[in-house]
Amino acid sequence: MNKPMVGVVAGAVLGIVDGATAWFTPAVRSQIMTILMGSCVKGMVVGIICGLIARKVHSTAVGLLAGSIFGLLFAYLVALMPQPDGSHYYLQIMLPGFVLGALIGFLTQRMGAAPRAA
Amino acid sequence: MGGPHRPFPTTRHSLIVSAASAGTMAREALDDVVAVYWKPAYKHVRIQWRRSNEEAKDLVQGFFTALIEQQILAGFDPSKARFRTYLKGCLDHFVMKQDERANRLKRGGGAIAICDFEAAEREIAGTPSVEDVFLREWQRQMFALALEDLRAYCETIGKTLQYAIFAAYDLAEAERPSYAELAAQHGVPVTNVTNYLAWARRELRRMVLLRLSSVTSGDSECMAEQRVLFGK
Amino acid sequence: MSYLPDRALDHLRDVAEAPDFSATRYRVEEEIGRGGMGTVYRAWDTQLERRVALKVLNAADRVNQEAILLAQLEHPGIAPIYDAGTLPDGRAYCAMRLIQGRRLDEFLRDEPALPARLRLFQKICEAVAFAHNRGVIHCDLKPQNIMVGEFGEVFVVDWGVARTEDSAPALSAGTPPYMAPEQSGAGAQTVDTRADIFALGQILRELMPDPPPRPLAAIARKASAADPRDRFSSAQQLAADVGRFLDGLPVSSYRDTMPERLARFCRQNQVLLLLLGAYLAVKLSLYFLAPALK
Repeated sequence: MNKPMVGVVAGAVLGIVDGATAWFTPAVRSQIMTILMGSCVKGMVVGIICGLIARKVHSTAVGLLAGSIFGLLFAYLVALMPQPDGSHYYLQIMLPGFVLGALIGFLTQRMGAAPRAA
Repeated sequence: MGGPHRPFPTTRHSLIVSAASAGTMAREALDDVVAVYWKPAYKHVRIQWRRSNEEAKDLVQGFFTALIEQQILAGFDPSKARFRTYLKGCLDHFVMKQDERANRLKRGGGAIAICDFEAAEREIAGTPSVEDVFLREWQRQMFALALEDLRAYCETIGKTLQYAIFAAYDLAEAERPSYAELAAQHGVPVTNVTNYLAWARRELRRMVLLRLSSVTSGDSECMAEQRVLFGK
Repeated sequence: MSYLPDRALDHLRDVAEAPDFSATRYRVEEEIGRGGMGTVYRAWDTQLERRVALKVLNAADRVNQEAILLAQLEHPGIAPIYDAGTLPDGRAYCAMRLIQGRRLDEFLRDEPALPARLRLFQKICEAVAFAHNRGVIHCDLKPQNIMVGEFGEVFVVDWGVARTEDSAPALSAGTPPYMAPEQSGAGAQTVDTRADIFALGQILRELMPDPPPRPLAAIARKASAADPRDRFSSAQQLAADVGRFLDGLPVSSYRDTMPERLARFCRQNQVLLLLLGAYLAVKLSLYFLAPALK
């Protein structure tokens, strides 16, 4: 499996797991399917970006940094969308998104086959 | 250069081994052992055991007589000790036993007629106190006997000039003469002096190893003893 | 028979021992070592204008055997042989590369770090494994017969008692405590490459700290087991197990306990565990702080 593919799979799985935790928040339980989908897509997008970076740069630190930055960025974009009551869950979405992004960045550095040198 | 190539000396280890297995020694083997060891034994008894010359003389004669008459060598196991070490141990044991009995053994036959105790006594007077008299005297005796062998060999094959040059240089008691001086003295070119010395030294080594092989139990002991004999 | 004074005796001992290289291309400079089989000199090769190590053996037949064996072993970890011959007195000699470095036992006095020691050990194993693949058994491996070069290169030297697997065994060859039990006495008939594995195990013991890590102690124990059948079957296997230890992986000679396995897993996955822990902490904090955040 190549690194972008690892990123996609890791992002999807972790995104679904992260989205599923919304079930513990009764206020958003009714929107669980939307949250799961959104979280999964967000994870996959971060994963593919981190995977592409991992193909070029072999460094755990770079992976962690890129993952956390893109995780935070996409989590911010998701958090921008208001709830039905007009409120925003910036902290509740961006903080876990930041850590999950770092996790995806780390996994893309450690797993997956690097392309062969030309 | 230096005459024909000579292989390693023919070993005579079998004499010691057969003596050990039979318990008693063949006359030929005993002669070799006595020739090499009587003086180290005598000086060892005189210096390490602090015995008078008369006592030491009796003890050494008694010891070599016992080698013939008793089964002393039956206990020699080449895999456990070197012959030199074993013999020294036997000698020490013999001296201790004599102390306990406090009497003298009757003297044996002519096997030890070659022992010149008076000469050894004169040498002791000039011998500085050394830690292991037995070892040092064993080295000295091995080389002294090999020198005798070399001299006799040179006379037999008509190489007295080679021996004379070797003796003048390698046995010089004071300042060693230069090669040029030796060449002028004997009327030969300097290169011949170099060659004669190299030849004589090789032959001396061969004689020493021949003597050594007659008082060791096998190749492995012989090689180990070579290190003691030649080693610094 | 005249008395031989000490001075004359010492001189005769020297001249009788000194090898006569006058008819060869070598000029002896100084004695640099003396072992069971012979003496090693540093010498100058007048033809190729380089320094060499000249080994003069006490036994004529052994040197040829050593020279022939060494000539088969072209490996960076084995000092190459340049030349061999016989001196006029019948002693045989061989000229070898002069190794600039220190013996392993001297090198260890500087107390290098364990990973450095073990990487050195792996190099020794590689050289020995190469010889084994060529059917040659060293029979006298010990720290004194291993040289460490200035740049950490390793040379296994003194193949004086080495033999091929199909040759007649040399009884009691080797040096205690590096000598395998089967090398002494009647068992010498069954000596094979595993005798060298035993010596490598003993050498490994000397490289280990006190107290040694348990997996490493188990590797050494297996390598120097009394019964050859219980040892590693090759020097490569031994080196590989040491390599696994160096990489923090489980070794074949030691079964980890559950806490040790857990500890190893945590050590190997520190960052991942840290990130998962951080994620859990964030989620739990948010869950419990949810009312306050509204």
